[in-house]
This record gives sequence, C-alpha cells and structure tokens, in this order.
Amino acid sequence: MSLTNPPGSRALTEIASAVPHGGSWAAYQAAAHALDRLPPDAVPPRQRARVALLGSFTLDPFVPVLRVEGARAGLWLDVYRAPYGQYLGELIDPGSGLYEFQPHVTFILIDADVLWNQRWAENPPLPSEPVVGGLLTPLFAGLDAFEHAGTGLVVVNDFVLPRRSTEGVNAFRNKGTFAHTVAHANKHLRLRLTKRDSTFLFPLADVVAQVGRTHAFNWRTHYRGHVTWSDALMGAVARRYAGFALASLGRATKCIVLDLDNTLWGGVLGEEGPSGIALGPDWPGQEFLDFQRELLDLQRQGILLALASKNNEPEVLAVLREHPFMLIREEHLAGHRINWDDKAANIRALARELNIGLDHMLFIDDSPHERAWVREQIPELLVPEVPADPSLYADWVGSLPSLLVLQQTAEDSRRTRQYQESRSREAYQASAASMTDFLRGLELRVLVEPVTDASTTRVVQLLAKTNQFNLTTRRHDEATLRRRVAAGEWRVYTMCVADRFGDFGLTGVAIVAPGGRQWHLESFLMSCRVIGKSVESALLTRIAAEARAAGADGLTAEFIDSGRNQVAEAFLGRHGFAAVGHGRWQRALADGGPEWPEWITDAAGSAPAAAGDSR
Amino acid sequence: MSGTADVEGRVRELLAQVLDVPASDVGPGFTEASTASWTSLNHLMLVSQLESEFGLFLSNEQIRQLTSFDRIVETVARHRSGG
Repeated sequence: MSLTNPPGSRALTEIASAVPHGGSWAAYQAAAHALDRLPPDAVPPRQRARVALLGSFTLDPFVPVLRVEGARAGLWLDVYRAPYGQYLGELIDPGSGLYEFQPHVTFILIDADVLWNQRWAENPPLPSEPVVGGLLTPLFAGLDAFEHAGTGLVVVNDFVLPRRSTEGVNAFRNKGTFAHTVAHANKHLRLRLTKRDSTFLFPLADVVAQVGRTHAFNWRTHYRGHVTWSDALMGAVARRYAGFALASLGRATKCIVLDLDNTLWGGVLGEEGPSGIALGPDWPGQEFLDFQRELLDLQRQGILLALASKNNEPEVLAVLREHPFMLIREEHLAGHRINWDDKAANIRALARELNIGLDHMLFIDDSPHERAWVREQIPELLVPEVPADPSLYADWVGSLPSLLVLQQTAEDSRRTRQYQESRSREAYQASAASMTDFLRGLELRVLVEPVTDASTTRVVQLLAKTNQFNLTTRRHDEATLRRRVAAGEWRVYTMCVADRFGDFGLTGVAIVAPGGRQWHLESFLMSCRVIGKSVESALLTRIAAEARAAGADGLTAEFIDSGRNQVAEAFLGRHGFAAVGHGRWQRALADGGPEWPEWITDAAGSAPAAAGDSR
Repeated sequence: MSGTADVEGRVRELLAQVLDVPASDVGPGFTEASTASWTSLNHLMLVSQLESEFGLFLSNEQIRQLTSFDRIVETVARHRSGG
C-alpha cells in the first residue's frame, strides 16, 4: 500500500489544471512548457511512461496536448514521434528509433486521407478492396514484426469519414464509394486487432462524434501543414490515450468509491426517506438509474465498487436491500463505510480492508466540498470533477481515462465475491490463536503449473497490475512472454490458490531463467489477495526442487525497489536469500532448499510438474 | 484605443504561450527573426490560434506577413475594425 504521495503527482496535476477541458492548443503548449521546467527528479519512475506516436499526418502539435493530459492523470509521458509519414518503416525495421525507444504504448494514427489518396491513385477511383489491401497489408506486416519483438501495447485508431459524403443515400450500398472503403478498412482493422491482448482498436470515430465532426477537424491547418485535428479533438483523444498509459503502468483504477445522496440517487435519504429519493424509470430518477447501470457494467469488468457516505447505515442498508429500483445491491459492493466520520478516513479504511493502494482508487461525490477535502487529505487518490447536472453522469463516467479496462479475465468477474469471502476470512483470523493455527485452519490448497496458452492473459495482467508483492515490478507483454518461453529462455510458473472460504484463482506468478548451476528469479509476484497466506513459500519450494532436479545448486534473485514492494524483499530474507549488493540476492540449495509449508495441500498431488513442457 | 490595448494583451499572451517566452519580452520589436522558437510549425499553430481567438480568416499572403508582434497586432486590429 502506498503511504506517501509522490511529490511529482501534485506538481503534474497542478500544471494540467491550468488547461480547462476544451482548452486551446496555446494553453496546452504553455502547460507543456511548464512541465519542462519541473526538476528532472520531480517525477518518480513508476509515474513515467514511454509513449510512441506513429502517424500519417503532422503529430508535433499533438505532443504537448498528450503530455498535459498525461499529467492530468498523474503521469509524466516521454513521447517518441516517428519521422513524418514513416509509420510503416518504423514498425517493420528492428533498427528504427521506435524499437530503440521501447515504448510502453505505441499509438498509430493513420488518417483516412491515406485511403482517400490511394482511392484516387487512378481515375475513376479504385474500389474498396485494393485501396484497403494496399494500406492494411503492409501495416499488418509491420504490426506482426513489432509485436514479435514484444514491446508494449499497440493502439490503432479506426478510420473516420472526414467530411460529409457526396455519395448520399448510396454511400453504403455501393462498393465503389469512399464511405464503403472506410467501413471495409475498419472491419479488417477490428478483425486483426482483437486477435491479441496487447493490440487495441481505438474508437476515434466515437471521439469525433462526441466532439462533433465539424469541430473535430481543422481544414485550414490540414491544408496548410497536415495538422488535421482541431484543438478540441486533440484534447479529447489525448485524455483517452492517457488511460492506456495508466493501464500500461499497472495504474488503472481498481476500485470506485461512491457517495450516495445526489450521486447514486437524487435527494437526501436522511431527509426524504426511501420513498422520497429519486431513483426509478421516470425523470429525474432515470438519470441515476442509468448511472448505476454504467457502474455495474464496470463492476462486471472487474472494477470494484464501494460506498463512502454520510448517512445512517440501517437506512442505507434498507435501500440497498429493498428499494425496488436500486440496481447496485449489497452483492455488488466490495465494502462500505456508512457513518458520520470524516470521508477521507473512511476511504483510507476501505483501502486497508480491500488491500488496494489509494492511487488505484477513484472517488465519486457530487459535493465539491467533500471532493476538495478528500483531495487535500489523500493527494494520491483520483478525485475527478463531477458534472453539476446528474443527467450527464452516465455519459461522463465512461470518459474517465483510468477506467479504461484493457483486459478481462475470468478472475475479473469473480473479484467482488472474492472480497466478500475475504471478509469472512478476516473474521476467522481474529478468532484464530496463532498465525500457524490460522493458516492451518484455512485449509489452503495450491496448484503450481507451467503457464498455458489460456493462462497467459492472466499472467500478463498480474505482471501489469501487481505492485506490492512483486520482486521487480517488471511488466512484460504477451508477445515477449510467449517468445521467451518458446525460446526456452524462461520458465513461467503459475499458482492457483484456494482455501475453505473460497477460490482465489490464479494469483501467483514466477518467471525463472534456468541457468546451469544457478536459476534466476526474473519475476516473482503474488496478488495482494493471497498475501499473508504463506503460499509464496510453496511456489518457491517448487521452483527450488525443479532447479535441484536439473542439477542447479543455487537460486539468484533481483529486487528492484519500487517504493511499495518491501513485502517482496522481506520474502527473500525469510527464505534464506542473502543480499550480495546492487539489488542482487542469492541462495545456495545445498540445504535441500526451502520447505513446503505442511499446512498447504499440493493440489497436483506428488506428480512433479513439468514446467515449460506444455508448450 | 482601449480596443487596441486589449488586442495587444491577448496577442502578447498567445505569443508567450506558443513560443515559450516571458510575456514581458513580447512587445514592439519582437520578431520571428529574433526568436528561435518561432519555427514554421509554431507559426502555423500561432496563426490558427489567432484565427480562433479573434474569429478571423487569414489569407496566405497575410499569414506570410505575420512576422512580428507589431504586424500581428496591426492585422488583427484592422480585421476587427472591419478594415
């Protein structure tokens, strides 16, 4: 759990706050210059992301806008810009500046102009197939090459019909129209980009629709200097891009803490009573109903919901259980604090209960007073400005960058139940006499296995999201993982954990580089859900046993201090590793290696796991 | 003349924002030639910021001539007075 707010976070958000939503490009430019004047050590590494831009039009003016919107999300972005128009070459050439930059996220911004120009390469214009093939075939080849090298997330904008079609009602009937070409290109992009977990189609058309097409493009700067996007479109796209950068650093929001009165329903429950609050199929109750629906959609994608409200708890529980139109019920909530205490203290208590860093939480409250107070008390918490008009809530919540969900796994949809199980577990812990008794009574079961095709997504997700029990906090993407496992450079172990209260799912990962006499722990992590259960000992014991069986006589490990992963360093000390300097640790295996905790059942039985052989 | 003073203030602010110079440095005698950050790309963006800030449309000829603080103020003021 992060206890201190990195000083950089406040400096970044303060600079960004000088630019209002819909701010002019000049205001963005001035704020970006202010970012440049921050001292170089103002922002710690875990708030810095490398972002690459590849595009078919002039991207220079977009850079300050992107940096400022990154700062608004608490990030310092180092931006690489490919030379004008060189997007294909940069993707395909392993010697290009793009590869050297090793971006966390690469954004590919190809304007429909490219399709337009290919279409008019001949007169009469070419039909959709050759136009789309002419662009997408080399693009996909470039993507294949870049992904094979395994560097980060790749986000490609969809194509947008830039102006009103002259083709009228026939635009989508006739295969020869430009509208058809754009639709055809988007279909192929979608097919290709949903194949892998590290590539994404960015819905530029949605953003253009929101800004309004006539306001989204600046034809003057387009023709004068290939600067096609208006100030408004640059700002709107950059805000969403910041979400990808957050997610690539494992900084996406994990939990939304919600106020109740005038946030989840209209009116004040304590004054108007359960039948007086606005919530239901009519105006204004439907505004809140739709907002709750959006929140539940987020919850289904793995984001936790919790309540922090100044109210009388029994009255609120009655609404949660009995109000006919309430959609968010107790079973959707990972936790709640309903009392008259300070909200900041309540949010901190929720963070402790859920074992989630405050910088992974987002607080939504209609009261500007509460927002200001909580923001001041917990600077690392995201506290976005909320629209004054509840009819805008449902639309607004979808625009928050940190709620951009990159991957969805089976664990996501189960997460709320797991937190509820953990509450019964804690009640049990309070009654257990000693730690060993407690662990024994949990009836822990683990299954250690080599990574499989099916579990790779979950492994990549854990690598991206785990911040506490994580030796190196190195984030690896799917392509890197697959490549290095296939090459025999890495063995990737996964561990599933269950106890008598419930199933935690895949919650432990180790990446091991097997050497001759020394096996090296490249990564070793435990989801925060299983910290304190000693299951890490089981995973390490298994790795040590396989190392010995393969003839190794020692383990080495690396610890990279991220400011929050001390629990992982302590793990090395407790398991017989000795620090040898520069973050390197080692342990001889002459003593037979660490011992399997006798209170943990090996769900694989005694059959030795054949790590790395399943692929 | 309060209209011109207002235009001068807003142009000064825009030049300072776009070119990363202190507003106090921007005034008569401030020119493209004497300012390293006044690149062709910044010129393009500066023109579009002037157009949206003051609701103008500038011709190619005018754009080429906007090479100093004085010229910009003069051009904007003339447009606003309908000249």
